[in-house]
Amino acid sequence: MLWHKAWLETRFRLLFTLFFMCLILTFQHGAATTPPGVHGIVRFSNPILVVMACSMLAGAGIATQPTLAVSKGTHGSTLFTLSLPVSRLRLLGVRAGIGWLEGAGVLGMYCCAFWFLSPTLRGIVTPADMFRYAVTLAGCASAIYCLSVLLATLLDDQWRVWGTMIGSGVYWWVSTHIPFPAFANIFRGMGEDSPLIAHTMPWNVIAFSAGLGIILFFTALKIAKAREY
Amino acid sequence: MTDFVIETNQLCKSFASRPALRGLDLHVPVGSIYGFLGRNGAGKTTTIKTLMGLLRSNSGTAQVFGTPVVDADRSVEIRRRIGFVTEDKELYPYMTVEQLIRFTRPFFPKWRDDLERRYLQLFELPLQRKIPDLSKGMRSKLMLLLAISRGAELLILDEPTDGLDPAAIEDVLRELVTIAASSGTTIFFSSHQLAEVELIADHIGIIDQGRMVVAGSLDDMKTRYQRLQVVFANSVQLPSHWVEGVESVRQEGRVVSILASHNADAIVDQAQSLPGSEVERFPVTLKEIFLEHVRSN
Repeated sequence: MLWHKAWLETRFRLLFTLFFMCLILTFQHGAATTPPGVHGIVRFSNPILVVMACSMLAGAGIATQPTLAVSKGTHGSTLFTLSLPVSRLRLLGVRAGIGWLEGAGVLGMYCCAFWFLSPTLRGIVTPADMFRYAVTLAGCASAIYCLSVLLATLLDDQWRVWGTMIGSGVYWWVSTHIPFPAFANIFRGMGEDSPLIAHTMPWNVIAFSAGLGIILFFTALKIAKAREY
Repeated sequence: MTDFVIETNQLCKSFASRPALRGLDLHVPVGSIYGFLGRNGAGKTTTIKTLMGLLRSNSGTAQVFGTPVVDADRSVEIRRRIGFVTEDKELYPYMTVEQLIRFTRPFFPKWRDDLERRYLQLFELPLQRKIPDLSKGMRSKLMLLLAISRGAELLILDEPTDGLDPAAIEDVLRELVTIAASSGTTIFFSSHQLAEVELIADHIGIIDQGRMVVAGSLDDMKTRYQRLQVVFANSVQLPSHWVEGVESVRQEGRVVSILASHNADAIVDQAQSLPGSEVERFPVTLKEIFLEHVRSN
């Protein structure tokens, strides 16, 4: 039932993210007529969609009310949720899990649509490559998504979205302007090193992102467990 | 198995530098209907939240069903046996009444379908209506339904009749007594409505400034507490020291009103020994006991 509740709470965000995805696809449709255009999309526009999806779909931790309201002494329905015989690990896990599944679904749909709508891409990329690319995006997104989950336990909902975008932007800037280990370069993993361009899976980057995501998730859990209502 | 469903000893909780509980001792007997009274900010909700594991105490101990509430894993098991009504009566705004019942039911293996049907009918709750479209009274009734239908061994109710009209309050109070009598459920509830507490509670605890100032069986309390009215024929000459048991002494002209918490016979003897005095005894209401303690504090 917690999955159903999480779905009810996030469905409008999912719709908004799908709408944003459609906007990006419309914009890309004209740009993807030449191979450099496809490369440009893979390098820049797709990571933006990933960051956007992760920011929007991470949910708001345990609380269904913004954290800012909690600090003002109102808890919304959070007290009812916390009176249920459910651990905070399960509450946070379900909430984070449904958002991650929605995010993975959005990225999967995007990859399918990207492939079908771009004749140029269909000429140079096989469906298997496209599937590997979708897996790469979902894997590399793990760290960004879990950053958003962590921020959800600390910040008001709208600040969480901005916080994730700014945090991701800073990470991108640092990874492009400062010598950075390749395995830790998440945005490169989604771009130049992705199966669409490098034709190999960036497993080391995916593993790094997943590892970082786990650390961020358990940090969020520790905060959620310590939080008083 | 302990005789108390809820037991706290020297429980302390502070928010920043502001103490909310200052060594609270609370003992709720199994099967009792326990009225938890106090002024706004006395520490009632803080106590309830601590018992539910929503707040952590700074010191002291708190146990429910003999299990410490600070243990997060065991706290889940405790909550499985508790029905809880929150003070603010906030529920998921995106669900209907029916969806909320369907959502809550699977968490509680002892869910009582018969009680669910009974209270749906009694409270006249519209199944298809969304939560934001319910009045505060209806939300209170829905929360009560969700708490009672859990088949809980303990109901913790924070201002359960808040927002209800007098007829609904009557219904709810009657049902609480029925539940306690028929299934042996312990009911621990906070309220500002002294009259309704007096109507159904068999045990009382009065908290003030984070401390328990009076606690015990209501019958026992009413037997022990007495108001003595001493009327003097001429001038009033009160003793400098009263015998033990005098909680307060108020004088208006030749009439002196004494509230005795115990030892009333000895106090009467002392009053009668004063020159020109006539003493009468009066029973004391819960309101008088409450006001006496929270004012003197």
